[in-house]
Amino acid sequence: VSEAAFLAPEEFQRLCDYLYRRTGMVFTQTRRYFVERRVRERMEATGATSFASYFARLRSDLDGEVEKFINAFTVNETYFYREEHQLDCLTSDLLDSRLTQKRAGETMRIWSIPCSTGEEPYSIAMRLLESWPHVDAHDVEIVASDIDTTVLEAARQGVYGRRALMRLPPALIEKYFIPSGAESWQILDELRQSVRFTAANIVERAQTLPHGRFDVIFCRNVLIYFDDTSRRIAAENLYENLAPGGYICLGHTESMSRISPLFEVCRFKDAIVYRRPPEASHG
Amino acid sequence: MPLIKKSPEGTSMPPVSAADERWEAARSDKADVSALAAALADERDPRVQEALFTALSRLATQESARAVLPFLGSDDSGLRTRAFDALRAMPDAAKPCLPQLLADPDADVRLLACDLARDMRGADGLLYALLDTEREANVCAAAVEVLAEIADARALPVLARCAARFADVPFLAFAIKIAAERAGARPARE
Repeated sequence: VSEAAFLAPEEFQRLCDYLYRRTGMVFTQTRRYFVERRVRERMEATGATSFASYFARLRSDLDGEVEKFINAFTVNETYFYREEHQLDCLTSDLLDSRLTQKRAGETMRIWSIPCSTGEEPYSIAMRLLESWPHVDAHDVEIVASDIDTTVLEAARQGVYGRRALMRLPPALIEKYFIPSGAESWQILDELRQSVRFTAANIVERAQTLPHGRFDVIFCRNVLIYFDDTSRRIAAENLYENLAPGGYICLGHTESMSRISPLFEVCRFKDAIVYRRPPEASHG
Repeated sequence: MPLIKKSPEGTSMPPVSAADERWEAARSDKADVSALAAALADERDPRVQEALFTALSRLATQESARAVLPFLGSDDSGLRTRAFDALRAMPDAAKPCLPQLLADPDADVRLLACDLARDMRGADGLLYALLDTEREANVCAAAVEVLAEIADARALPVLARCAARFADVPFLAFAIKIAAERAGARPARE
């Protein structure tokens, strides 16, 4: 099959419609190369000889193909201490603000969604241990979720290459990692056990709601892949998963104000974040 | 090093209020268009309104788009904006309603309808028709602004006629000049 004729226009559209219905992610002609490359990989992996036979396999979820297909479409490039100013904001402002709203002894809950291969939730854990003065006095539960089950398994393993660690000072690598190969390092067991990993699709309320309410949610660089409706659904799901007065951190190119009026903007010294209004429970 | 010293106690949910129950109903997969529309007519809580509009956007049918239309003319600017965003989120479903919106007696509705056309493939023809008859300069300006982004060289005669009708409205003449430059630079589509 030639590159140019790999997917017919109607096949491309059918596939994009399917992907949208399953994940909320929107792919258009401008990303045709990205889509076709992944379909080609999945067809080769499954031995499908035509798009029609592959699509039939996908729709019938033969050998768990739906999960493998979705995994192929998620973007998982990230690194430790990405957008570090938000981590600064977390330990200097957000958590202290939340403490004033919580009962004595109540667990502080932080959600990283999507968590990809774990760099973000482990960064949060490390930053808490390094910089939050109250870390020994309060229980903190970090939950990390992703739609891609392959990256979740990698996140649980916690093994990283040099590129993922590029922003970390050597002293932190020394403190929280052990060498696991010539060019790889593994997060210490104790830190790995501080993060609970779960599978969740952010636009599927049935998957987000059971996670309960959090004090801070990190949801960075995922809403940009959605269309307006999916963004609104995701925003409402996140709203439900935030405690009143809880905060949400988005990627630096994203703005909740353009997605949903449910949240209020909060400007802190290190970052602009969004908050579920404190008074809301509704009515 | 452990961040949790004891077992997490789970997450406490605050008491359920009447608005919480309405929010829950709006977010339920079971809600149909008529139930959502009826709820929207009585709802005063902005958060629940938002959930109802999102539910209608998610259905994305012509029926759900029609259920949103009455709120585009609301005196409540928040409600009007939420209705606009809901229609913008379902352009294919809302497109059949566009002629009706562009002919609405309320100029504010016509103005918002021009903005909706921005995301609707092939809606430029409706804006051409509007520019030939619309009496409100502000509505024409909204249409011209959209055409500057989406129209091709076929818009030039329409823009010229509109400029002639509103020769005494300087801001519109300027907007039309810019739109004509941009539309004229795009080759006409088939």
